[in-house]
Amino acid sequence: MSANQIRHSRRDTIAVRATINRLIMSTETKNQTIEEKSPVNRRDFLKVIGGGAAVAASVGCSSERVEKLIPYMVSPDNTVPGVSTYYATTCKDCAAGCGVIAETRDGRAIKLEGNPASPVNQGTLCAKGQASLQGLYNPDRYRSPMVRKNGQLVSVTWDEALQLFNQKLGELRSRGVAQNAVFVNQHESGSFPAFLDQWLADFGIQPHISYDSEIDVTAIAAHKKAYGVAWPRYDFKQTKLVVSFNADFMDGWGPTVAHEFDWSEARADINNAPRLVYVGPRRSLTGLNADLWIDCKQGGEVAIARLLAGQGSISNASKVSGVDESRLTAFINEFNAAENRLVLASGRNVNASELLDVVAGINLSNGAVGKSIRTDLALTGYEGVSSPARLRSLVQGMTAGSVPMLFVRNVNPVYTLGHHAGFGAAMEKVPFKVSFSSIMDATSELCDLILPDHHFLEQWGDAQPIAGTVSLQQPTMDPVFDTRATADVLISAGKADVANAGKYTVPDYRTWLVNRFPGGATGITAALPTATVPGQVLARTAKEPEVTPLIGGSVEDTTGDMYLVVYHNPVLGDGRGANKPWLQELPDPVTKICWQTVAEIHPLTAKRMGLKNGDHVQVTTAVGSLTLPVYCYLGIRQDTVAVAAGRGHVNSGRYAKAGYNAFELLPIVESASGSLSFVSTKATISKAVGHAELVTTEGSSRQSQRNIARATTLAAIAAGTNVAHPHTFEGDASHEFLPGMRAPVANDAQGIFGDPDSKKKGQYDPEHWGNQAKRRWAMTIDLARCTGCSACVTACYAENNIPTVGADWQVGQAFPDKTGFGANILRGREMAWLRLERYYEGGEEGGPDFETRFMPMMCQHCGNAPCEPVCPVYATYHAPDGLNVQVYNRCVGTRYCSNNCPYKVRYFNWFGYGEPARKQYAFPEPLHWQLNPDVTVRGKGVMEKCSFCVQRIRESENRAKLEDRPLHPDEFTVACAQACPSRAITFGDAADENWSVTKILKDKRAYHVFEELNTFTAVVYLQKVNHPSPLEVAHAPVAGSTEEHH
Amino acid sequence: MALRRKWLAVSGFFAIAALATMLSAYSGASSPSGASPEQPVKFPHPVHVQTLEMNCLYCHASANKSPDPGLPAMGTCMGCHALVGTNLPEIQKLNDYWTKKEPVPWERIHKLPEYVRFPHMRHVDAGVSCQTCHGDVQNMKQVYQQESLNMGWCVSCHVGQSNPPFKARYDCSTCHY
Repeated sequence: MSANQIRHSRRDTIAVRATINRLIMSTETKNQTIEEKSPVNRRDFLKVIGGGAAVAASVGCSSERVEKLIPYMVSPDNTVPGVSTYYATTCKDCAAGCGVIAETRDGRAIKLEGNPASPVNQGTLCAKGQASLQGLYNPDRYRSPMVRKNGQLVSVTWDEALQLFNQKLGELRSRGVAQNAVFVNQHESGSFPAFLDQWLADFGIQPHISYDSEIDVTAIAAHKKAYGVAWPRYDFKQTKLVVSFNADFMDGWGPTVAHEFDWSEARADINNAPRLVYVGPRRSLTGLNADLWIDCKQGGEVAIARLLAGQGSISNASKVSGVDESRLTAFINEFNAAENRLVLASGRNVNASELLDVVAGINLSNGAVGKSIRTDLALTGYEGVSSPARLRSLVQGMTAGSVPMLFVRNVNPVYTLGHHAGFGAAMEKVPFKVSFSSIMDATSELCDLILPDHHFLEQWGDAQPIAGTVSLQQPTMDPVFDTRATADVLISAGKADVANAGKYTVPDYRTWLVNRFPGGATGITAALPTATVPGQVLARTAKEPEVTPLIGGSVEDTTGDMYLVVYHNPVLGDGRGANKPWLQELPDPVTKICWQTVAEIHPLTAKRMGLKNGDHVQVTTAVGSLTLPVYCYLGIRQDTVAVAAGRGHVNSGRYAKAGYNAFELLPIVESASGSLSFVSTKATISKAVGHAELVTTEGSSRQSQRNIARATTLAAIAAGTNVAHPHTFEGDASHEFLPGMRAPVANDAQGIFGDPDSKKKGQYDPEHWGNQAKRRWAMTIDLARCTGCSACVTACYAENNIPTVGADWQVGQAFPDKTGFGANILRGREMAWLRLERYYEGGEEGGPDFETRFMPMMCQHCGNAPCEPVCPVYATYHAPDGLNVQVYNRCVGTRYCSNNCPYKVRYFNWFGYGEPARKQYAFPEPLHWQLNPDVTVRGKGVMEKCSFCVQRIRESENRAKLEDRPLHPDEFTVACAQACPSRAITFGDAADENWSVTKILKDKRAYHVFEELNTFTAVVYLQKVNHPSPLEVAHAPVAGSTEEHH
Repeated sequence: MALRRKWLAVSGFFAIAALATMLSAYSGASSPSGASPEQPVKFPHPVHVQTLEMNCLYCHASANKSPDPGLPAMGTCMGCHALVGTNLPEIQKLNDYWTKKEPVPWERIHKLPEYVRFPHMRHVDAGVSCQTCHGDVQNMKQVYQQESLNMGWCVSCHVGQSNPPFKARYDCSTCHY
């Protein structure tokens, strides 16, 4: 792979290629074409039609359809049209620095996968990482530099913008105030921060503030103090008991993907799996994955942690934490009896620094450091993040008028600090503000000059995910818009400055990086295929100035009747994902709410207040008030209300408007290390006027004895009682067509090509020359690994051109009673081929002891599919290789198949989501650049569903055939399995012993959902394994099956 | 009566428009046989293929390794025509595009609907000649569509009814996904 090949200029070499015109032309468009192209006027046309010349006219119209084939000017090197090229690079959407591989086709990035060479994510990728593509192709990106003229931001040329930039930099120095200018950059590892500091120093400006509101700076300060690193790697395999004090390591606390990967690897070894206890007022995704929830009142965590450290009394801890003494006693006994304990704590509480100190003390005395806490594999991406308190002091500085110039790059403190922090108002006092952000947001929109940065997929860079390893970043395509890499802009400003021109001799940042790289251009070219190389980036040397934190008083002293928990939405983060429709439409893994901000309260609290789901309440704190619909959540304390942050933006793009901003409720109170406290106040909750239906994709949170998501225990597995097959259908052996897993298929699906003698199998015979029936595509999903993170869902959207339907302008007009964001979801029109079910077991009375089961649910590709015989047009049928196929061009939209599907995994195109002329169009320019050219964009009135990524199967078969070889076992996998950070999903050929899936199928925990319906599904689930407390197991009678059969 | 006839015409229009819509949707929008729009540059296949004996793959370079046969880049044309035939009016047209850095907007002749996947390389690999689907392009002064490209025509070959006989999968999901 040469470095040249990615630097070709699209304008010179690539024209938009009509050969991959990826959209089905709507029938409506075609009819318009008839009229527009016809030489006769509309009235004449009617006469012609009336005269009976319809067929001639309609056939005639196709020949008039204008379609062009646009060639390249010069072919790019080493690319084949229609064949993907892959570039390894680094994700910069958060600080973890996961390696990604961008699949590009004809010069456009169309899919991101995890880079298997990356030590962080090891080939997997989270939902946010998948959705980076919607940052790249975001319709609300800045398309060119902009300058504020007469109060409005107007588009200008780069020459004009840079001239202004250079002029302002010159004035800054000539006035002698450069030292007071401030640059706030999104925190990142890599060489750029050091490069930026050097540039700032050259212009006499102080080192930049490295800000990321998603990062737990309090925890980092504690980690550094106790372990010497910002973020150690946790080896969960080395533990038997993990206690988490609000540390949401699977949903936002630190490098989520690395944590999930490591956690699932440990839990998959079911006999040695660690148990997880979650302590805190609200069960997050991590909390729902815990085996035990200690529903501790906010602030009481410290007392419980002290108990674990052998300090304090249970009665006092019980009083402070609001947890029964008996529950605490059982927990402490379990903890004291356990080996290899690991305790984690987040820094979100007011008293978190104290908590983290106690926790670090436990880990140090337990010998966890060096064993389950690996400082040698520490995630260096979290080193060097600035204290958020510096932004507060910046507000003071700006308000006092002492900041002459402000630079921001991909940070949005106007949103993340809330209106009351006054960042926006303070910015008005700054004479000149420059934004380098690539996408519009509330902070950028207040700036005077916008010099939009490239997206990370368009530029050169690097990252330092772990010590000693550099993850390179290379452009995967030419820039979508007229943007420039910030580093290149800084270099050009350096060249233009007389005093600095001598220091900036390199033409661009890429050259600067290459010059630093061992082996120079040759070295970097050799390193790019994996983009993961040994090395060290240029480190920042700037010392963080001390800022006295604004430590709040006791939460008890604030006014209100419930404790307020504000948390980062696990999908949207601190709001940076809010303008990406995939993420807005991805249901929150815990609440299953999308496009909406809700106030989470306990069902018993709701009952007490006379509220039901969706009733409006007013949540008021000292700094703000929001009116939100209520969501009754079992996993929250009765004295607590929780609101997710991340939605409710202004000036941040069309999708980001949905919902409300929870930061508006959060007073600026900091921990001892200067980090914003997310649990720092009570709130007053009062019933408000109105009701909103919850925008949820959840049908029911209860299984009602349907045994869909099953769980077992080690004891039951040992006793062989974990799986029972209540009904055994022998079937008709003569119809047992598919190899691998048993499946009778009616061969009349072959239509006229089927043999009339039904005993002959036609294509369904493994000996048939089509060779298709030799394979049986199948999938296993290990529920002991699945954490419910939902990365698979977004991966499926990305791979299969699934439209999002929840934007307010996508609403239909026929029934105007449901409007706004999510209205189509309220009508059940979401299109997620793969959804993540979340079921509760127990806790019916509202108690804290309930179990949660997550379950990815998609088309089960039944061998004996209920959808197939009811289709009147054979649009859905069974392929000889075991796929339940949906043929879009046959489908006439009767929806009988969906009615007859017991799994409810078929989705109907109520609108023309793929038709640009419609308001329901789901891919406004340039979002449609991402569409996978191997997958049909479905038209209106067509049913669709999981295809087992048939395009990947056929592509692999084609490749194997071309290379004249059989498919290698595990040669390829489907999109969901590829993304899954916990490796829960395995795909392959169940008829071939050598594929991994065939081995997993034989697991003792394997079962089919709704086996009793005789559907012979091709998706096999492996039961979740529950790990009851070892002390309970010791006292319990002999454990039996956890299943109930009916 | 005139009024009545008008209403008949209108209702007839709706009925037939519905039929036309269905036909245009299900005809798969492939161009009818014989379609031969005039090209912006009159590229003569016979000269290149017969007189100069150039292989199809010289210009359509990915037909044997990609689903997409590949359309020659302007640079490929200019590789020869920067020097060859520069006095011919059509080459001068080509040169004009090249100097303006504009691609030639070729008229598309062969078009399958978007819901059909046609991997060129599998067909070339199996020994299906280009002419089987595209007709005798080597004799066409202006390319036209010889075959219907409709599904029945595809399937007849897949089930082994062609001459010479080829056999290939004819399951729907071979092409439709």
